[in-house]
This record gives sequence, structure tokens and C-alpha cells, in this order.
Amino acid sequence: MSISDATVAVSEELAARDDMIVCRGVDKWFGDFQALSGITATIKEQEIVVVLGPSGSGKSTWIRCINRLEAHQSGQIIVDGIELTNDLRNIEKIRSEVGMVFQQFNLFPHLTVIDNITLAPIWVRRKSRPEAEEQALSLLERVGIPEQAQKFPGQLSGGQQQRVAIARALAMEPRVMLFDEPTSALDPEMIKEVLDVMEELARTGMTMMVVTHEMGFAREVADRIIFMEDGEIVEVGTPHHFFTEPAEERTKLFLSQVL
Amino acid sequence: MDDGDGVGAPVIGDKPAIERVATRPAEETHRSSAEWIRKNLFPNPFNSFLTVAFGIFVLVSARGLLNFVFSEERGWDAVRTNLRLIFTHAYPEEQYVRVWVCVGVVVALACLSLGLFASGGEGLRLRKISNALNATAAAIALGVVLREPSVLIGADGETVRDADGVVRQSFAEAMADRWAWWLAAAVLAVVALAVRRVPKRSDGSPAAVPTLDFAIGAMALPVLSTWVYPWGHYAFADGEFIAEPGRTVAMSTKVPWTVMWALAVASLIVGRWVSAQVDERALSRLRAVVAFTWLVVPFVLYWVVLRDPDLDWDRIFTVDAPLALAFGIGGGAVLWWLTADGRGELGRIGAIALLGFAAFHWVAAFMGWYPMLQKVRISFLLLAVMALLAHNFSGEAAKRRRLVLAWLVITTVFHYFATVMNTPSTVETPTEALIGGFAVTLVVAVFTLMLSFPLGVVLALARTSRLPIFRVMSTAYIEVVRGVPLITILIFFVVILPLFLPANMEISLFASATLGYTLFSAAYLAENVRGGLQSIRRGQYEASDAVGLSTVQRTVFIVLPQSLRASIPPLVGQVIATFKETSLLAIIGVFDILRMANSVIPAQTQFLGIKREGLLFVSLVYWVFSYMLSKQSQRLERRLGVGER
Ligand SMILES: Nc1ncnc2c1ncn2[C@@H]1O[C@H](COP(=O)(O)OP(=O)(O)O)[C@@H](O)[C@H]1O
Ligand SMILES: [Mg+2]
Repeated sequence: MSISDATVAVSEELAARDDMIVCRGVDKWFGDFQALSGITATIKEQEIVVVLGPSGSGKSTWIRCINRLEAHQSGQIIVDGIELTNDLRNIEKIRSEVGMVFQQFNLFPHLTVIDNITLAPIWVRRKSRPEAEEQALSLLERVGIPEQAQKFPGQLSGGQQQRVAIARALAMEPRVMLFDEPTSALDPEMIKEVLDVMEELARTGMTMMVVTHEMGFAREVADRIIFMEDGEIVEVGTPHHFFTEPAEERTKLFLSQVL
Repeated sequence: MDDGDGVGAPVIGDKPAIERVATRPAEETHRSSAEWIRKNLFPNPFNSFLTVAFGIFVLVSARGLLNFVFSEERGWDAVRTNLRLIFTHAYPEEQYVRVWVCVGVVVALACLSLGLFASGGEGLRLRKISNALNATAAAIALGVVLREPSVLIGADGETVRDADGVVRQSFAEAMADRWAWWLAAAVLAVVALAVRRVPKRSDGSPAAVPTLDFAIGAMALPVLSTWVYPWGHYAFADGEFIAEPGRTVAMSTKVPWTVMWALAVASLIVGRWVSAQVDERALSRLRAVVAFTWLVVPFVLYWVVLRDPDLDWDRIFTVDAPLALAFGIGGGAVLWWLTADGRGELGRIGAIALLGFAAFHWVAAFMGWYPMLQKVRISFLLLAVMALLAHNFSGEAAKRRRLVLAWLVITTVFHYFATVMNTPSTVETPTEALIGGFAVTLVVAVFTLMLSFPLGVVLALARTSRLPIFRVMSTAYIEVVRGVPLITILIFFVVILPLFLPANMEISLFASATLGYTLFSAAYLAENVRGGLQSIRRGQYEASDAVGLSTVQRTVFIVLPQSLRASIPPLVGQVIATFKETSLLAIIGVFDILRMANSVIPAQTQFLGIKREGLLFVSLVYWVFSYMLSKQSQRLERRLGVGER
């Protein structure tokens, strides 16, 4: 499939918006193993993109390249007009514009919830502590756990921890949020509380790139779905296109397995 | 609401009830002791054999030790009269109040900290106290029976005598005459029984007393006894020793100890009162202040209180104060400039230039190009380090002010101590060193630890660094130091280092020994910290990077706090090792506590050759301190377990 096919799927309304993330021919190797090959995709401002694909297809690797947790070897990644290169200043800038939520939450276990959230705003955004705390409390309110501010992560349930992690990322006031399987480590009864927060976030116009296996979320919330396999983008389309008339054999096979 | 407290540890007040975890299952406590003994000591023939063999071994050793300690031939007077020598060596008696001030400050600060930090916990169960009392009573009773009376050959053949030299007619009479010990054992057993009778609390939880209150309360007993019980008055004055067994202890002993005890109680009360009054934010700030005070206190106590510098005010007004002022204002201005908005790259270049400038003066010093006050060199270095950290404080005015303020504090403290350390002392001792004995052990151990901790952390970080140059240098250093015996390093620093120093630099025996210990201990600490660093999951690094923390911020806020916590047990082990290793000071010519017992006391005319008593006592002192350290580390571990999974 070609790049033009991928862009066809973008609706006209979306196409008019600015580009937020642009990937052009991104390659990534782990030693001899090629984890990403020629990834080319554009994510528009305020767009919600869900990335699907079987395990090991390179979804995490791709999303982690976007805020430079992994370095790609060739091709271009441009976030909000800034190209990711080895230049540390660009990496710093992009990291403060891109928020990330991990499968394993990765909260800082030795800090209270509120300190988890305010640490980066105080030391990276250079906010004053009262200002940062006020913001943190309103974010906790937004993710529905204002009463947990003084607890340690270890005292919270998985769902609560993941919501703190979302609040922590939002505290940096990012322009883009990346989610790498945010609900995969959760018990089933906690998945919904996290998805609700993400949906609410989507409604406020945040640009989001979400790796998930929650087909319901993909169908309801996504503007576009990108399907990956073996480090390549196989198919791109709206949820409607994707779930009703997938073009590629591999996509059909994948859907038949997960649905 | 499902967001509530359903999951995670239950919470008492604002602290998670981690201590609860230690609660033993109830059924175990109800099992009878006979059953316990059968199950644990005699479960099968082989284990029964081990139990018996080990029991015999313990009894025989205990008998030997008791016979030794209570033998009439023992010269315990050598220890009793020389206590001052053992603890402080030749520190003059008329200045002794300074020593007590030091002890007092440490006691007060310790109890204040305990009052402020202590978590309460569930306290010490009365049952446990009762068990301990019973065990003590049993040990005393057993000891009384075990210990044989000294048998001396007198004019009439054999005479049985007891420790106090009184002649007994028979073995049985000697046993009966130990009535005071029997009585003590009986009293303890009765108290134990009474304590056990205290009913459970109304909420069904076992009766308990707060651990700290109990410990400090119990301390009142020995302190009070100095006023009423005739422990004996022993002193060493002008080479003569006074031994008056029938009297209570000297005024110069019981007054200070009583004051210390009162101080402990008062500080504990103040600490608790304050922590109950102020809010969370103020409390955490207060704790930071107390922690900082702990860092400064050793310097103040040694250099100011014990040493009492003979300040030369003329020089201070003409040289020292202007210099400090110049660095304070000049350095403050430089830092203010570096952190202005949009300084960016220029700030970094400025900081690096400053570092080069500071380093240049050190090279010049070693080459002997031009003379310069040592503290000027160090000041430039400090300023360069601050400048390197400055970008973390750039932007907002409040932050920049904080940086400048920190610089002013650092400059003031540094210049103050630099001046004080270079001033001769008013305290005159007949020996070369100001202090000796146990004081020297403590001083060297404390300074070694304070210096080697930061060094060890830096070495560990360097060894795990991504930059090969740091990794190689740190690895080489650690492996070299760990491959060389400590005594070799000490001798190197004391004997050889002074020969390498340029003519205008001097180093005292203490300083060079402390330096040797520091470099040695840092290598081991580094390995312990590295273990902690490796225990941190990759996700922590990724999350720090993802929120945009710089490498320094990530290390300071995320990596180090977690890894130091993870390595508390080995770190405390290293602290204890360092404390005990100070006994090597005796070999390089310092009069430390070991040397007092091993060669100083046995050389006194009154106590010629009496060595074993002193050595036993010194071992006891070492053991008490090491044991306290390891107990505290266990407490710390439990406390810091808070918040972890
Ligand atoms: N650090 C790494 N080193 C070597 N191989 C890796 C590394 N990270 C991921 N891979 C490999 O790259 C492929 C893609 O992994 P990943 O992006 O995690 O897949 P997904 O998230 O889609 O399950 C997998 O085959 C995985 O084994
Ligand atoms: Mg993955």
C-alpha cells in the first residue's frame, strides 16, 4: 500500500487542520531485527488515532519513537513542527509537548500522588509550588480522584494509579498525548474508569495516539484507525471503514481473531 | 463511591499502618511453651543432639565469662578510674563542660528529631517487656549458680572467697551470700508477672506502651540510682587514683547525666508538641531544617565547641570577612546573571568557563606557580559547581532568589568554618591531639561517613553512567581501592601523602587519616549504592524522561531516593564497618579507644599489665554502638517502606 492510500482515508474536515505528528519513512532496528520499516503517517491536530495490531507488530516501538524513548535510525519524525534529531534541545522541547501514559503506569512510588503530578511542572515548566498544586488538584478532580492526593501510588488500585498517571502527563499541558496500552494491565472492572477519562480528554480536543486492544474505544472514539503488522502500516481508515469493509487480508484476519 | 479507600494498606492518621504487617498470628501466642520447646528444640534425635551440644557450649562459655568478670583478681578499677581517659583521653578536666555540651546537643537533637519524626506505631507490647524481664531474671539466677566462687589457697589450706574478697566457710555459704543477686532476679520475676497481668485495652488490642517513652523512662532508673546507690567514687587525679567504693558517684558524673536525661525528656516533649501544633507543610519544612542541622552539628561540635578557636579579630576584619563578603556578593551576582531569562547556552558556557578557572588555581597550587589562600581556591570551585546547577533555577525571580540565597548560606558557612579551622585552639592538652579515646573514634567515623556518602553516590552514578570515560574511571578507582587493605591506604595517607603535598599545604594526622578512611569507605558505599541503582525498573527512567525531567533532575528526584532506600541494609552495614574499622587508628599512632585499653592503661604504674579488663570493656562499647546502629536501621527500613508496593 502507498502513502497516498493512507491519506485518502483522512476526511476533508481533518485534512484542513495542521499537522501535529508527521512520520516519513521511519525505520527502526534492534540490532539486526527491523522493528519498524518505512512508517509513514500524519496525525492532525485534535485527531484521535488508535493503533491496532497483533503483539510484537511494533506499536509500542513506534509510539516510543515519537517522544524519543527509542531513537529511530532513518526517516523523519516531526512533532508540532519540531524535528526529532539527536539535538538535545529538540528532544527537551518535544518531551514537554508530548505526554505519555504507560501500560505499567510507572508512577514514582516514593512520592505522593500530588508530588508525582507536580514534580515536572515545578522543575521543568518552572511553576511555583502553590500554582502547580492547585493545577494538580484540579486535574485529580478531572480524573475523578481528588481525595487521593496525599496517598502513595502503592495505596491505590490499578485504575486509580492509571488515572494519576494521566493527570501527571496532563500537568505538563502537552499538545499530544500518547497512550501505550493504558488498560492492558488493569483488572476488567477498572478498565472503564480509565477509558472514561480518556474519552473525556478526547472531547476536549486533545490530540491523541492510542495503542489499545479495546475495540469499543476504537470504534466509538477514534477518528482514524491505523493497523500495523510486522513493523509496517498495513491499513489506515475510519472506524466505520475499518470494522465494516477492511481492504487487506491481514486486517481481516486480525479482526476475526479479536472480535 | 468506588474511588474510595477500598484498596491498599489501611491508614491510621496520615500514615499507612505498615507496622501491622508484623503482627503475629494469634494462634501462635496461645501455644504452650512446652509444646514450643518440643517443636523447635527437640523435633528429632539429630536436632535434639544439636540443642544439647549447643546448650552445653553456651553454659561453659557463660561460666568462663562470669568467672572472668567477677574474679577477685580482676582489676576493674583500671577501667573505673580511667573512664575519662577511655572516652576523651587528655581533654582537660576544667574544660570538660564542653564535652557535656556536645553530648547534650546530640541528645537534645536526637530526641527532638524523634519527637518530630516518630511514627507512633503500635508501641512495645507489655507481654514482650514481661518476657524480657523474665529472661533477664532467669539469666541472673542461672549466672549466680554457674559462677564458681574464687578458690584461693590460704594458710589453712583452701578458702572459699567471693568477689568482694570476703572469706566464706563453704561453697554453699558463698552461694547464699549472693542474696543481692537472688533478690534482683526475684524482683524482676515479680515485676514481669505484674506486667503480664495488665488487662488488654478496651478495644481488645494487647496492652502496650509507646516504645520511645518506655526507653527514655527506663533510662531514668540508672540516672536516679547515681544519686542514691553507692556505685563508688573513682577518679584519676595527678597520677594518683582515688577509689572509694562506699560512696555515690562523683558530682561531675551524676549532675551531667541527670541534665542529659532531663534534656532528652524535654526535647522529646517539645518535638511532639511542635509536631502536633503545626500543619503538614510547616512540619515537612521543620524536618528539613532538623535534617540540615544534623549535617552541620558535627562540624560545630568539634571545631567550635570542643576546640574553642582563639579567634584573631584583627585578621577577621581585615582579611576573612571582606573575602567572604566579596565571594558572597560577587558569586551571588554571577549566579543571578547566569539564571536570567533566555540566558540559555551562554549560562552553560559561563559555568564551564568558571569551572576551568577554578580548576586552574588548583593546578597552579600543585605546581607552586603562585600563592593563594586555600579557601579562595575552594570558593571558586564551590561557585563553579553552583553555576553548573544554576540552569535548574533559571526563569522565575523567586527561584533565582532561592539560588542566590543558597549561595549566600553556603559561602557564609564555608568561610566561617574555614576561618575557625585555621585558628589555633584555646584548649590546651598535654598531648598533641585535642581528643583521643572514644571521642576520636566517633569524630573520625562521623566525618568519614559524611564525606564518603556523597563521594560513594557520585562513584556509583559514574559507574552506571552511559559515558565510558566516567564508567572506566569509577570502575578503576573502586576496584583498586577494594583490592588494597585499609591499613595500607591509611599508612599511605599518613606517611606518604604529606611528602607529595606542595610546601605551603599541610595536613594533620587526623585529616589525612579521615581522608584515607573516606576514600576507602566511598568505594564500598559506591558498590552498595550501585546495587540499589540496578534495582530500579526501566519504567521509572522512561516516565521521568517522558515528563521532561533532565538527567540531573531524574537522578536527584527519582533514581537516588529509590535506590538509596533499597540499599539501606548494606549501607548501614558499611556504616557499622567504618565505625569499627576506626580501631586501626591505633596502629597509625592515634590514641583511640583501643589503644587506651591495649597500651595506655596497662602502662600506668597502678595498673601495670592490666589489659584484658580494658579490652573487654572496649568491646562492649563497640558492641553497644553497633547494635544501636543496626536497630535504628531496621526502624528506618520499616519507616521508609511507606509508599512502596
Ligand atoms: N529493546 C528491544 N530490544 C530488542 N528488540 C525489541 C526491543 N523492544 C522491542 N523489540 C522487538 O520489536 C518488536 C516490536 O515490539 P513492540 O513495539 O513492543 O510491539 P507491540 O507493542 O506491537 O507488541 C518485537 O518483536 C520486540 O521483540
Ligand atoms: Mg506494546
